[in-house]
Amino acid sequence: MINVEGLEVSYGRFKEPVLRSVNAVFDDKSLVLGPNGSGKTTLFRALCGLTKTRKGRILVDGVNVEEIYAKTGVIMANFPEVLSLLSIKVSDLIRLYADLTGGDQAFAHQILVGLGISETPLKCKKLHELSAGQIKAVCTAMALSTHAKHVLLDEPFEQLDPARKNKLIEHLIGYDGIIILNTHETWLIRNLADWKAFFMFEGALYGPVLVEELFKAKFSLREEAKAIIKLMVSGKTVSLVKGGRGKPVLSLESLDKIYELALEAEKG
Amino acid sequence: MTKYFNFNLKALLTNPYLIFWAIIFMEYWVLMWAYVFGANVPPYEEAISDYTSMAYGSLTIISLSAVATGIAETLIHSSKSIKFVTKYTKLSPARFLAENAASSLMVLLIVSAIMFSSVIGVFWHKFGMLVLPKSPLGLAATTLLSAIFLYAFSAFLSLLIVVLKAPKSASFVTFIPLMLSFLSYSSLWIDFKIFAYISPFNCISALFYHYYSGKRPVTGGFFMSNGKELMDTALTTVSLTAWIITMLALVIILLRKMRGVSIEEIRLV
Repeated sequence: MINVEGLEVSYGRFKEPVLRSVNAVFDDKSLVLGPNGSGKTTLFRALCGLTKTRKGRILVDGVNVEEIYAKTGVIMANFPEVLSLLSIKVSDLIRLYADLTGGDQAFAHQILVGLGISETPLKCKKLHELSAGQIKAVCTAMALSTHAKHVLLDEPFEQLDPARKNKLIEHLIGYDGIIILNTHETWLIRNLADWKAFFMFEGALYGPVLVEELFKAKFSLREEAKAIIKLMVSGKTVSLVKGGRGKPVLSLESLDKIYELALEAEKG
Repeated sequence: MTKYFNFNLKALLTNPYLIFWAIIFMEYWVLMWAYVFGANVPPYEEAISDYTSMAYGSLTIISLSAVATGIAETLIHSSKSIKFVTKYTKLSPARFLAENAASSLMVLLIVSAIMFSSVIGVFWHKFGMLVLPKSPLGLAATTLLSAIFLYAFSAFLSLLIVVLKAPKSASFVTFIPLMLSFLSYSSLWIDFKIFAYISPFNCISALFYHYYSGKRPVTGGFFMSNGKELMDTALTTVSLTAWIITMLALVIILLRKMRGVSIEEIRLV
């Protein structure tokens, strides 16, 4: 379980905070939904202890993340920069991380074959020599193959075609551990009904709600009394409501569109 | 040992920049010292032995510094990964440091061995005389101390960049070992006096010269004819050892403090 208490992060002492008073408990498979640039990746970096926090603390199974050292199997993430310990061929990199984490390299290759990446290019290319989509797929497969208790997946569906996205979802559903996944895409929530969902806008985290509740939920660009969640977007209140008027969450495809909606509402 | 040791060793030994600057480029200078600069060396044993020792000392420190530059660059580029693996894998900070140091030292010793054999071989071909070190044990010990110092120094520089969050300076800072080695190279013409003891690079080349030739090194100005001051080799060794201890202590402190610089930050710069 990961507890986030009053977390504030900024890059530079005098700069605006990227994360503002974030409080959350990640004790089950969870989604962090938010548009690009909302602070999702920064939150994930902070959860791993890779970003200096200005205020607040993060507890991983009750231990402050700052004090964790050499704890195998506690957290794994799919950030390319944390999986690039050495500039070596990808197949060697998979072997290296499997050795360091007690992971299963065969499982990593099994996931990758499912995602359309055979062993041949992995034996002759380094991670940075792969395409952006392949890098994301390799890092996600490496993260899942460690069987860590908490797996943080940053935009794992980016640049994957629909068939491969479905393959990956099967692995996520079958994973025996806590997955925290961030994305700006909303289409995938149909497949993850029993997961929890958080929303992240402009550095603030809202929620959680059960993903199932989002199937019929709508974004209303006004303050609604019966809102499930009230979000602040560009200084305006956006209410997430069950039924009623508004734009269905599932119809948005990408949460980046919420800004277009806000703009339209302002004009008209 | 984890697989990190083997893979780091392999990655460093196959690093094309390291192969070029530490080996190929330095072999070119070995040839230059033998066939171009060595054209006027008097053809008697003492002069050839002296000249070979000087060449070995001056060129090996540059070659090892080129390796140190490669090590520093590798550490900076993987700083985020280092922070992550020392937290969430069996590579604790101490174990990481031990395995990284062991594999890097191995590379530094391999490069020293290449320099040693090429200087002996090329100078034998040029002068028709096999010049072997007068104190092989002393030379081996100096090689080991140099390798430890250069590893610690490169690790210190790269971790400093990461802790200070200054990736803009990365390309300059990684070249500091190479720049300082060229400064020690200039002691062939310049007398550094007391600074010869303070600069670890001068200490290394002086000790290499001492154990290879069997003579006491000078504080500088090898090629100059005016009065030269002889160095105290015991004091030189103490100075180098003090540098090693200081650097290793700083590396351990910085390793726990660092949070890493992402590859994107370095690439953007």
